[in-house]
Amino acid sequence: MSANAPVKNPPEERLVNLVVALMATEQGLTKDTILTSVSGYREQSDAGASKDALEKMFERDKESLRGLGVPIETIGDWADPDDLREARYRVPTAEYALPADIEFTPAEVALLNLAGGVWSESSMSDDARSGLRKIRALGIPVDEPIIGYSPRISLRDPAFAGLQQAIEQSRVVTFPYLKPGEDAPRIRRIQPLTLVDYESRWHVFGIDLAAAADRTFLLSRIVGAVEITRDSFDPALREGAGDRAMAGLDDVAARHSALLEVNPGTEAALRLGRRGVPAEQGIRVSYVDVHVFADELASYGPEVRVVDPPELTAEVIARLEATLARHGGVS
Amino acid sequence: MTRRRPLLATDRAALMLQLVPYLIGKGEVSIAEAADEFDVTADQMRAMVEKLTVIGLPGDGGYWQMSNDLFDIDWDLLDQRDIIVITNSVGLERSPKLTAREAAALLAGLQLARTIPGVGDTDLFAGLLAKLARGASSTPAEVIVAPGPVDTVRDAVADALRKSVAVSFTYKAPDAAPTTRTVDPVKVLIANGQWYLQGWCHLREAMRTFHLDRVSDLVLTGIPISHAGESAPGWFESGDSDMITRIRFPEALAPLLGDYLDRASLETEAGVTTATMRVADEFSLRRLAARRGGEVEIVEPAGARQAAADWAAAGLAQYR
Repeated sequence: MSANAPVKNPPEERLVNLVVALMATEQGLTKDTILTSVSGYREQSDAGASKDALEKMFERDKESLRGLGVPIETIGDWADPDDLREARYRVPTAEYALPADIEFTPAEVALLNLAGGVWSESSMSDDARSGLRKIRALGIPVDEPIIGYSPRISLRDPAFAGLQQAIEQSRVVTFPYLKPGEDAPRIRRIQPLTLVDYESRWHVFGIDLAAAADRTFLLSRIVGAVEITRDSFDPALREGAGDRAMAGLDDVAARHSALLEVNPGTEAALRLGRRGVPAEQGIRVSYVDVHVFADELASYGPEVRVVDPPELTAEVIARLEATLARHGGVS
Repeated sequence: MTRRRPLLATDRAALMLQLVPYLIGKGEVSIAEAADEFDVTADQMRAMVEKLTVIGLPGDGGYWQMSNDLFDIDWDLLDQRDIIVITNSVGLERSPKLTAREAAALLAGLQLARTIPGVGDTDLFAGLLAKLARGASSTPAEVIVAPGPVDTVRDAVADALRKSVAVSFTYKAPDAAPTTRTVDPVKVLIANGQWYLQGWCHLREAMRTFHLDRVSDLVLTGIPISHAGESAPGWFESGDSDMITRIRFPEALAPLLGDYLDRASLETEAGVTTATMRVADEFSLRRLAARRGGEVEIVEPAGARQAAADWAAAGLAQYR
């Protein structure tokens, strides 16, 4: 094979060549060395590309690679750390690679394969598969696959990806949030701390900056784009946030319960019966969100009657009336 | 389940960084197997491998690279037998750390997996969580999957799967009389916190999917399963759905209707989406219509539309 590559190399070749070069150096390479020796830059240098354009390309490439988790270290001038003209760049192998002492047992890999398969058709699915590939490349023998189960998490909320990125980067986000019963969405500004799938609905838990307090938002009520602002916050705020979010949701469920009369032998009786405890007049079922629960109860039509609380009764009646009106009925 | 989305240059670079340790670990692997592992076509895999051979160390003189400074492969094996073998490597031998997102996706999946009875013990999970945290290049965003309740029916089904015996239970489908079923369990599907048993139904003599919330009085029989190898139907394909319906709803509602729309054809005009789909009977959609409180309108057939109105009216009558 000729080592003389064509002038117009695909960008992925340049990116991978850059990683190889930066990993092979102990003391680091200067930008000049990189631009004139690493394949992909070198050819463009030779072809007369402007230094400015090449430097910009290098900056973009560095960001792309960092986005892939490649740790590019910048070693500045000792005397003047802010002077990056003579900065050297390298990728420390120990930071780049999966630690050599991490070993996965065959049982663990089998479990990870099951865990990685839960995301149906979402970017999380690609991430899980990519993570699994890295682990499988360690060459671990795998136990028999865990058959008999096909767990799935659905992720249809468009807000998820932006929120996840903002949490990773510890940055403030804004989004339009439409509460049921309100005419127009309001813009919320929060420090997002964790994402929670609770009763199969995605929530984001964080600190609402207007209220200066912990708040939990349903992703399905985020009705527009999640904007990641330039304001960052202390990543230490994320520690323990998951426990706080779960405790908060459990607490809400403990405080809200409905008294329901359910017709025996119906779908409502089966579905609600499992979650309820017997009461004097029917069953008591706890819930987190009155609107979400009213949706479910309305779907049961005549199979369930809400006795208490009045707020829930009103919501269910409103849904049934609207359904009747929409389908040409008169109430 | 493989997605063949167009890949960006960065995605392709990420794949190449993973490909080298994979190929070195394998020693010798067919194009087909590697393509499968990386969710790409055989042609894409071949192109990636060929591209690898122009990757290498910067030349010493700042110009030419010597051939041993580049990755190389056994070209004869590739050309003649579609087999990949790396013959010279110049770095990247170890797997890269997981990105924060990759770790988050696996961590969240593990939380769901651990709710399955008998799959992995607490120590196994704890060990994995620690390893994934250490194997990530930066702290993943915390993604929590709160466990749903595991009741005795779920435990019993898990037991039956392990023992490969049929189960017998009462099944009450919505809007139908209860039936007694004997089923060879094949698979448990878990979606949106709901558990479904898929298996060979002795009564219907076919593969069927049962919502476990609608199952009661479940017992293990002593009958060894005899139909484990039958091909399972896809998710929630109903075998006998002949009625075509049309429903209309605000476009923005589509994500909330998810499962219903998976098999529908959609048309959107001026923010209003019309979905056409097959359903089992005219009662199938009245629960959906009531749940969405007027936002979802059943347009046709007339019987299904009337069923929704009747359903809501009967519900309302309880409060009058």
